[in-house]
Amino acid sequence: MITLEHDQLTFRFPDVHADARCSIEFQRTLRIPDDDRTYYLPPGLGRFPLRHLDDFEDRLKREMVRRGGVVMPIHQAEALWISFDVGYDERFRHPYPVAVKIATGKICAISGQPWEEGLSQDPQNYVVLPEQPWLDGYCVEEGVIRQFVAMPLGDGYTAEEQLTGEAVHGGLQIAAYPMKRKVFDELLRRYEESLADEMRRSPPPDGFDMVCSPPAKEMGLAPGGRMRQEIYDDPHGLDVWDQEHGSRCFVTMANSAQWMAITGEHPPTVPPTARQYAKAGLPWFDYYDADHEAIAGAEELAGLKSVKAMGQKLGKSPLPENESSGVPVVVLKPKATTQASHAGKGEGPC
Amino acid sequence: MPQFGTTARQIRERLRESDRRFSLRQVARRVGVEPAYLSKIERGVVAPPSEATTVRLARELGQDPDVFLAMAGKVSSDLQEIIRKRPKLFADLIRQLREAPDEAIFRVVRVVRDGDW
Repeated sequence: MITLEHDQLTFRFPDVHADARCSIEFQRTLRIPDDDRTYYLPPGLGRFPLRHLDDFEDRLKREMVRRGGVVMPIHQAEALWISFDVGYDERFRHPYPVAVKIATGKICAISGQPWEEGLSQDPQNYVVLPEQPWLDGYCVEEGVIRQFVAMPLGDGYTAEEQLTGEAVHGGLQIAAYPMKRKVFDELLRRYEESLADEMRRSPPPDGFDMVCSPPAKEMGLAPGGRMRQEIYDDPHGLDVWDQEHGSRCFVTMANSAQWMAITGEHPPTVPPTARQYAKAGLPWFDYYDADHEAIAGAEELAGLKSVKAMGQKLGKSPLPENESSGVPVVVLKPKATTQASHAGKGEGPC
Repeated sequence: MPQFGTTARQIRERLRESDRRFSLRQVARRVGVEPAYLSKIERGVVAPPSEATTVRLARELGQDPDVFLAMAGKVSSDLQEIIRKRPKLFADLIRQLREAPDEAIFRVVRVVRDGDW
């Protein structure tokens, strides 16, 4: 079951385990320059609002209502990143692993393959939580992604249109699968044993066509600038995931005018540009986890044209304020909890 | 509400064990209060802070804002507004669910509907 809590999608799997859950949120961020240089991770600028699509049924096209899920506002050429968190065992604060598939326009952002139900390891079409704290774009090379950038569906920029030649789905699609209970129980047992061993060796010290009239095009995601980000290999193997108990969600993306027409709410303000951010002396981020191996980029995704490159081919300039930018970098490392890492990326310099 | 301060301090100190950014001073700065004030909150010397500060502190520490507000003896203003709009309906609903187990409550929680795509 999926609930919407404080603009977060929370996936719970009570039939598997009380701690089997994950939360997914969409963070507003800077659009990195699309200039073929490779940039570090941009900051988080707060969550995108999310609303139940069913609440606005009378203002939406029938096919949008049929998909279900949620709707989020996003400006044209605005970027986003996706933040993940999982549930923790209460006794040992051990995370409950969850496998998550992310697609845009029903094209997998990890493997570049068309959407299929279930998980695949060849090529890997999912990320593993909590090892993967966030995802900023399409996996185009080992250690490099192209940033998720919102563009109108039908203009030819989105990954979906570039790979299928059609503008049908748009939006974001997510599916999550918890680790099988018996595998988690065994993981927890081994963890408990390792803790006991450690205690014996060193005792502790004391003590996101409407009926009304806004622009009709939905939004989809397209590949933007290059960014350093590793997508980690599944350290557990395909067999550990409980694919009988997965949950999935379609995230419809609306531009500002659509959002206002659908919900009656004002959309968030336009985020600052990368140049404005850098001018203020604020840093971007790097994340380093030596304990996990990165997967190779997907050939299908590596062949995508970036928004700027596609704009040049179409004789258009789709990205305003696309100047290159040099900025200081803050290196983030894996933390005891993902919340800490998230806060680090979200809150700026420390 | 000494439990609020004690819990906040325990969570912050646990995070600080692996990340120095969770020192009293740095957390206070990110939450937007004086370190001395945060210290007094943690020690239960002063009453829990405003709703906005409590929510910022909860998010900073990776905690659920509603749980933190409850510990502070408060109910979030958005929840109050929801109840004020349909007081009888929500009062009846909450009272009926008072003794219900978590799994029963999850059955009445609104889920995000998955459709055909």
